[in-house]
Amino acid sequence: MRVIPIVLLIIAIGLLANGSYIHVKAQLAQWLISHAWLQSTDGNSQIKPWPWADTWPVAKLSVADHDIEQYVLAGVSGESLAFGPGYVFSSARPTERGNTIIAAHRDTHFTFLQEIQRGQIIKVQTREGRSRDYVVEELRIVDKTDVSWLEDSSALHQLTLVTCYPFYSLELGGRLRYVVRAVSLPQYQAESPVKLPA
Amino acid sequence: MKTLRGDLGTTLLQSLLRCTATSVYIGLAISSLLMVVVFFSTPAQAEISEIELGERVRALSDIESGQLVFKSADDHYVLSPRVNTDVDIQITGLLARIKVSQTFSNPTAQWQEGIYVFPLPETAAVDHLTMRVGERIIVGEIKEKVAARKEYQQAKSAGKQTSLVEQQRPNMFTSSVANIAPHDDITIVIEYQQRVNQKQGEFNLRYPLAITPRYIPGKALSPSAEIRHFDGHGWAVNTDQVEDASQLTPPLTPSSSNKTSISITLAAGFNLQEVTSLYHQVSLLEIDDTTREIELVSDDASARDFVLAWQAKDLQSPQAALFKQRKNGQDYALLMLTPPKTLEKETMSRELVFIVDTSGSMDGGSMEQAKKALQYGLTQLRPQDSFNIIRFSHDVGSVFSDARRATRTNIDIAHDYIDWLRADGGTEMAPALKMALQNKAEKSELRQIVFLTDGSVGNEDALFSIIENNLGNSRLFTVGIGSAPNSHFMRRAARFGRGSHHYIGSTDEVSHKMKSLFNTLSSPVLTDIKLKMDGRYELDSRTQRVADLYIGEPLLLTLKAESLADEIIISGRFGSETWQQTMSLKSGAESQAVSVLWARRSIETLMDEYRRETDNEAIKQDIIDVALAHHLVSKFTSLLAVDKTPVRPQEDPLNSQVIALNPPANSVMNQFPQTATSARLQLLIGLFLLLSALVLRWKQG
Repeated sequence: MRVIPIVLLIIAIGLLANGSYIHVKAQLAQWLISHAWLQSTDGNSQIKPWPWADTWPVAKLSVADHDIEQYVLAGVSGESLAFGPGYVFSSARPTERGNTIIAAHRDTHFTFLQEIQRGQIIKVQTREGRSRDYVVEELRIVDKTDVSWLEDSSALHQLTLVTCYPFYSLELGGRLRYVVRAVSLPQYQAESPVKLPA
Repeated sequence: MKTLRGDLGTTLLQSLLRCTATSVYIGLAISSLLMVVVFFSTPAQAEISEIELGERVRALSDIESGQLVFKSADDHYVLSPRVNTDVDIQITGLLARIKVSQTFSNPTAQWQEGIYVFPLPETAAVDHLTMRVGERIIVGEIKEKVAARKEYQQAKSAGKQTSLVEQQRPNMFTSSVANIAPHDDITIVIEYQQRVNQKQGEFNLRYPLAITPRYIPGKALSPSAEIRHFDGHGWAVNTDQVEDASQLTPPLTPSSSNKTSISITLAAGFNLQEVTSLYHQVSLLEIDDTTREIELVSDDASARDFVLAWQAKDLQSPQAALFKQRKNGQDYALLMLTPPKTLEKETMSRELVFIVDTSGSMDGGSMEQAKKALQYGLTQLRPQDSFNIIRFSHDVGSVFSDARRATRTNIDIAHDYIDWLRADGGTEMAPALKMALQNKAEKSELRQIVFLTDGSVGNEDALFSIIENNLGNSRLFTVGIGSAPNSHFMRRAARFGRGSHHYIGSTDEVSHKMKSLFNTLSSPVLTDIKLKMDGRYELDSRTQRVADLYIGEPLLLTLKAESLADEIIISGRFGSETWQQTMSLKSGAESQAVSVLWARRSIETLMDEYRRETDNEAIKQDIIDVALAHHLVSKFTSLLAVDKTPVRPQEDPLNSQVIALNPPANSVMNQFPQTATSARLQLLIGLFLLLSALVLRWKQG
């Protein structure tokens, strides 16, 4: 009987360690990636953050209102999402015309999405040094099969951030996604009746 | 008193023991479950295709349902409006007119908006919308997409009944219907024009019903999900709902599923031999030798697309057909021609090279699909063929140093090699492509490369130039794998490689999709098709290109001219032989469908160009012009019907619901990515176990 608390303790430590590891990995990786980023902005090749990585940074995402500065990785496989927000390959390239889609985990990189407000500004920078400011226009909860949200309405410069919903759910394979849609600044001013924050 | 206290003590002790025992059991149960969770949620596993993951997690939550540990996120699902679909198909010769009536019923006591996602064939020319409310019929108008959406939103918030049909992808449409009154329904009728498919003397027509088994309606979570809108456009209706998030409509049991009925009138224009429905039970009524009436027997939506196939008696199917129309001072013609079968000769020997991506991003479901596809490919080899398999991640390897004959032994070696493949490491495509494109001494007549990948690369342009510069007599066929492959890259790679692009969305589809690829690979091709006609006509490379033709397929041409010439000369090359045929354009049947089909094909070609070019505003305007002139739904135009009088009192809120069919699997991306980790869950249960361990230790010690 004395063994039970010890066994429980070991399992507990294992779980706590693994749970925190996910968070630590998410933070640490971003730090490593920032180095790869600095290197790759000099040249023009894909610099991998660590030698065996199957992904590389494609863009930098900043939201001043929430003190966020993250490096977006190529692809949305589990491997890249563990380390940073992932860029969906089939979507428009960051800062270019079309709908750029970036997804990340709700409990690591994209936790801040729950606090993001309409009118706030998301800045995207590419390795080549191009950058574009997007203004949050729409916040929605959608079903994961409602892919009309991933459509490319090529006329606009659009940015779509995606994460799981609800934010504090424990469930892993939930059906709902939280979608933040932002449009490029001049377009927003031209078309939206909403006033920008001063 | 003493005994009483003693009894009390024993009872206390007993219940304490019972408590401890129970907590240990629960702890053990939870930790074993957790191990399962941890096992399934490590990063490598997380990219298993959504289907598998979904099923596992769902199964997991089934186990948990009594335990309060996992809070179900399904609280928010409510009874959705039902959509019943009636499909009426009129087939005249090679043309089909399809009328789809969708009835949105609202079983709730609130005003509802229904948004229904549904598939249509890729070549469907949607040109007509009517909305029926009670006795009144409102005819839809074609408008530019943005304008139509704006008008729809305005009508919606003004409480008017309105419907909007939009194209999401060439084969996926949505219809939205706003302000369905409580316990009432609204019917919208969408009409489209389509050509009948013809291959090897057999005719068929497909109507998509793509609901795959994983979303069969009537299961615990019907395919509909209640969606809360944070409408950012400032129309007040939906924004209010955010604050009332907790007061959402309580969950109700899902009612009967969406139903579909299909009735078809087939006037083939020739004596019919056999008319069959490939996957569904139908009733068949023979009107005369050339005409049949067909009806779907069961009206349950099925997991498979509806396909009707028919053949001519004595194989006397027409080898050529011509339909004409004069509209707004222009002649339109639809010409069908089957190159004679005598062209078919012994298929040539060929060299088949498979390239398979074994990088880390392929791990899980994608790798399984790729392996299945390879195994299927091996079964398709003929003894005179030679083959090779090349794998790549951060490095390159292959089963043989050079392509080898497809002998039993060699195929067995290849099977072992496939079993051994593992997904790991980076993605260096260039060396693999170079290796595959290298032409070895032994010259085959036909060299085909089948490239299986999820396409997660960044140096696309460099790869395109490798393909372009080294292609020689090879042809490159790309096969996209996984839930969100980089189809843009693969489509373009296939274009540079003068082959075609295919997409496999799930393990179930492997054999089906690979079969269609191999059919293409093994057919001889008629290339360099050219047209010659006197007079002014529009068929330049700008609007329409005549694609290579695989034998057995009919050549289909849509022409537009100020006035058609008397005859047209069609020529092409088949290997080294040339082929030519002259067709008279004087006779031919009149049909109202011809201009619509011409417009649909023009839009298709313009869309290709639109996607290719970066500076594409002018092309977009061309597409809009064609679509508006011919009343067609396209990427930039939508059909909109608005009733003039408001019906919903402004103080009643409008609830909005998405009624989603499973999107077809060949879409760019058929689901949102998976975006949650198990960190929080692990931490929580870890803490719980830690506490129980401490409590136990304290009790014991």
